[in-house]
Amino acid sequence: MSIEWIEPVLASTTSIGVVYLLGSLGEIYAERSGVLNLGLEGIMAIGAAISFIITIAWGHALAFLVASVFGMLMGFLLAFFTVSLRLNQIAVGLAITMLGSGLSGFIAFPTTRKTILQFLNPELPSTALEIQSAPMLPSVPLPFLKEIPIVGPMFFNHNIAVYIALMLAPMMWFLLFRTSIGLKIRSVGENPGMADALGINVFRIRYFTCMLSGVFSALAGAYLMLGFQPFWIEGMTGGRGFITLSLIILSTWSPLRAIFGSLLFGGIEVLQYRLQLFGLGATSPQFVLMLPYAIAVITLSLLSLESFRKRISAPAALAKPYYREE
Amino acid sequence: MEDEDLSVTPLVELNGIVKRFPNVVANDRVNFSLMPGEVHALLGENAAGKTTLMNILYGLYQPDDGEIYVKGKRVRIRSPADSIKLGIGMVHQSFRLIPVHTVWENVVLGLTEAGFILNKKKLTEIVKRVCEEYGWNIDPNARVWQLSVGERQQVELLKLLIRNAEVLILDEPTSVLTPQETRSLFKAIRIMAKKGKGIIFITHKLEEVFEVSDRVTVMRKGRVVATKLTNEVTAEELANLMIGRPVLFKLERPEVKKGGVVLETKGLKAMGDRGVLALDGVNLQVHSGEIVGIAGVAGNGQEELIEVLAGLRRADGGKVFIDGEDVTNKGVGHLIGKGVAYIPPESTRWALIRDMRLVENIALKLYRSKNFSGRLTINWRKLFEFSKKLVEEYGIAAHGPSTLAGTLSGGNLQRVVLARELSATLDGKVPKLILAAYPTKGLDVAATEFVQGLLLKYRSMGSAIIFLSEDLEEIMMLSDRIAVISRGRIVGEFSPREKTVEEVGMMMVKGSMA
Amino acid sequence: MFKLERHTDISRKTSGLIVFLSLLLAFFVTGIIFYLLNVDVIQFYLIICNVFITPALLLQVVFRSIPIILASLGLVVAFRMGFWNIGAEGQIYMGMIAATGMVILHVFYGAIPASLMLVVMGAVSFLAGGAWCLVPASLKVRLGVNEVLTTLMLNYIAMLLVDYLVYGPWRDPEGWGFALSIPFPDYATLTFGGHPSMAGIIISIAVATLVYVLFKYTKLGFMLSVLGKSGEVAKYAGIPVGRVTLLGSLISGGIAGLGGLYVVSGMIGRLRPRISPGYGYTAIIVAMLAQLNPWLILPAGIFFGGLLTAGDALQSSLRLPFSVITVFQSIIFLCIILAEFFRRYRVVLKR
Repeated sequence: MSIEWIEPVLASTTSIGVVYLLGSLGEIYAERSGVLNLGLEGIMAIGAAISFIITIAWGHALAFLVASVFGMLMGFLLAFFTVSLRLNQIAVGLAITMLGSGLSGFIAFPTTRKTILQFLNPELPSTALEIQSAPMLPSVPLPFLKEIPIVGPMFFNHNIAVYIALMLAPMMWFLLFRTSIGLKIRSVGENPGMADALGINVFRIRYFTCMLSGVFSALAGAYLMLGFQPFWIEGMTGGRGFITLSLIILSTWSPLRAIFGSLLFGGIEVLQYRLQLFGLGATSPQFVLMLPYAIAVITLSLLSLESFRKRISAPAALAKPYYREE
Repeated sequence: MEDEDLSVTPLVELNGIVKRFPNVVANDRVNFSLMPGEVHALLGENAAGKTTLMNILYGLYQPDDGEIYVKGKRVRIRSPADSIKLGIGMVHQSFRLIPVHTVWENVVLGLTEAGFILNKKKLTEIVKRVCEEYGWNIDPNARVWQLSVGERQQVELLKLLIRNAEVLILDEPTSVLTPQETRSLFKAIRIMAKKGKGIIFITHKLEEVFEVSDRVTVMRKGRVVATKLTNEVTAEELANLMIGRPVLFKLERPEVKKGGVVLETKGLKAMGDRGVLALDGVNLQVHSGEIVGIAGVAGNGQEELIEVLAGLRRADGGKVFIDGEDVTNKGVGHLIGKGVAYIPPESTRWALIRDMRLVENIALKLYRSKNFSGRLTINWRKLFEFSKKLVEEYGIAAHGPSTLAGTLSGGNLQRVVLARELSATLDGKVPKLILAAYPTKGLDVAATEFVQGLLLKYRSMGSAIIFLSEDLEEIMMLSDRIAVISRGRIVGEFSPREKTVEEVGMMMVKGSMA
Repeated sequence: MFKLERHTDISRKTSGLIVFLSLLLAFFVTGIIFYLLNVDVIQFYLIICNVFITPALLLQVVFRSIPIILASLGLVVAFRMGFWNIGAEGQIYMGMIAATGMVILHVFYGAIPASLMLVVMGAVSFLAGGAWCLVPASLKVRLGVNEVLTTLMLNYIAMLLVDYLVYGPWRDPEGWGFALSIPFPDYATLTFGGHPSMAGIIISIAVATLVYVLFKYTKLGFMLSVLGKSGEVAKYAGIPVGRVTLLGSLISGGIAGLGGLYVVSGMIGRLRPRISPGYGYTAIIVAMLAQLNPWLILPAGIFFGGLLTAGDALQSSLRLPFSVITVFQSIIFLCIILAEFFRRYRVVLKR
């Protein structure tokens, strides 16, 4: 088998994997602190829609920035409902997912988008008001590194967002496992009552992680739009947020292992396209499209087997609201 | 206080502390002081107000009245974080550790001096050094779940020592320890005292007061009844102060003729929650009309035993027979059908649903009885009438069966559980076997006597009863026979008249016939 | 400082008032957001009101609300037993597939007599929806897999399965190449006195009654409720938790499957890809709005059926995308969740 076939597959694996990676980095923090952000899917959608519009109006850099601001706001909403008001995290997460997908569809809808674009940047040419796709992030191959067989195309021939995401993962790992703030976050997710007794502000930590998770979810959406699939389609996130939630379990809530989890699900998606190219599933592509969801279910089930479960322990206080007893 | 050296400022001084809870005054104008280098025992029965007082000092509760001085300065302690800043630390009965984290992570959590980036090497060094000072041998990189109970307690102490706590409050620290661990703890306490720290040692065991303390304060019913130097007081004096009445009050124990064997276990084995063998071949017989008390240091398999008997825990070996029928691992439903009543530990939490009505709580097991349901449906009207009767019979303070359980007080909830378990059997007869795990825990004297009376009543009516209690004297008083459990085995069986409390205690600790 | 105090017991009246106020809040918040996005808010609400008073549209409203009501009634069963079934959407699709499958079996292979068609379709779509809910339920019972993610994933799989069938083997040979199944023959169409909407109303009321009876009078209903309040206590009381979970989820998914049956056999008359505009998700909101009370599901479902109908009207008159309705729905959802807070706690000002 020639290497020419393998390399583009690996390259696109990384390309898609980064969507999952960005989403999981923030979500891991939220879950480690005891909050399940089921709104990930919707915040991703919002991130995609906003980055789509802002890129056209103001360019790439601001697109990522504005998307993260909106992500942070959604994270704040999540925190307010689940942390301050102690409401059910699953219900709130679902509501945020619906809100996100609805709002994204609405603001990216041609007429709304046109109004927003005109408001943001009155000088835009009329063609820019109508286009259905955003300019993609340019690819920045790294000299020398990109020449390494297999590893080069897989990791060093991408746009800048990919590099940043790949560098963020170890940094986020370090922050979580080797600093006092990380220790506090993990403790709050294991035993908030005890952390509180030691003078750690449980609410502040959870607000922080929720908002962080919002930011990263939105960045995942923005990257999906600008770095991977630049055409706007309503519902383009297509359950990737939910899949991210499963791969976090597979990665045992570790930002480093999330790289592998992300590449795994990225690979499955690439496999989809490849299989179709090879004629497998050409007549019925739906079965191939089911793969990520089916594999997520299977993974979740396998991970629940006795032998695995001993090694994997979810944060003990995950999805449990905390309140001080008087 | 009369013997204090006035030139030294006390580490802690509590003046006229009052704390009221609904229906009860937990602390009534309590005075207490702690000197540097002193081990001060706080002695009292359960619910005497010791833990409440210490929780006030630790910042968990706010006093309704009174003053707190730390090193001569008046302070207000609003939260545990405040008390830590003042150099006060507490080790609770249930440890506050994160099992999946390492020892050093648990110790360092919330410690500002550790810096932003945690230097693992340096921090483990420090932990090791403190360990050496006290003769402990803990690997700082071990995860807490891997440690023994005694080691976990040492980690709790480490947390305080590394924060340079000068006042250490230990809430019944020996209740979960083996004798060796207890000895090692006492040694460490003496070292701490030598370093000038003050230690408050909460206990209800007299011998420990003499073994470790310099001074002792006795509490009864929320009040301090005496503060004395330990070497100026005798055990008898302390016992009288603590209990305030003759040690053993007589219970009406009618003579009951022992019937046939109801429950028998043969070589019963079961795993505990952590996957370690908790029951290691238990052989036990209980007859009708007999109360068998299970005595043991906490965590020696008594709770697992009762769970297996109730069908809630799998037996991994051995057999359970009820009336000669093999019921091993037959499931809770089957056992309920056989007439097994179960009052679990913390029953008001685990045996009741607070946001359901009383009638529904009474129906929890009864719904499957032919007397109250058809093949598919439940006869709620009949259940309602029946519940109404029980509410009256058991003196449950509620408007009626449709009251939400959550609106009742703890004592009343306990009565609901008792009513259901004892009176609401499927066949309407007396339960064949009653498993009562700590049924009197946390109850006041009147409620305790009510429960004890009930158990004796059912004993006369022919039930076989297994009884767990943390209070050895209660076991001695109530049981016809006592089985001592240690490390998952029954190590001795005898009648309570054959032995003294001290002898039984010895056996519990040593794990063999003394 | 604010302090939260738990309500121990709250009257039905107060509870209803809180929910009503939260709905008002939702209207208000949505108005503000849409105003900021340059939508004619007055017009927006007028169109929504209009849907409920125009007879022709009202019929559409009833149509749309029936799958929501049925799915929601299914969710009442799941939620009351503490099973987070987010998979009603997929269970609806499975119901559609099963019903269509029976029609195809009948038309092409002559199986099933025409007179029995509706009964068989009903039974099979119930079982199909139920089976789709049994998958995550048995994973939960056997392995302890959390049902939230699995039910969600199965939604996508069911939707793709419908795509596969209508693009592939079940495509109507006379359908001009469109992705459609064959049209259902008359005797496989749900109507009552010639009105499919009437049939839907009757089915909804019948199922609501059954769910009501289930929880009010039966042992199974009691076991489900106990399980929903506390799994620990259920085990303690000797309730066969595994079996009850499976049975409850079969019923829950099955009722949603009936919703699917109604979509293909009552509303559309054939199977199409992506027919559901998120009935299964809307059903979650409806179930919560109705506080899991089967009778309240009916009006709540009709309200949301109206919103979906208004979505179509908004597209044509105000040129707004359907997603405005999703936004509106989600804000109502958030406000209902907020109402839960006020039903649970009293906010007290502390000195």
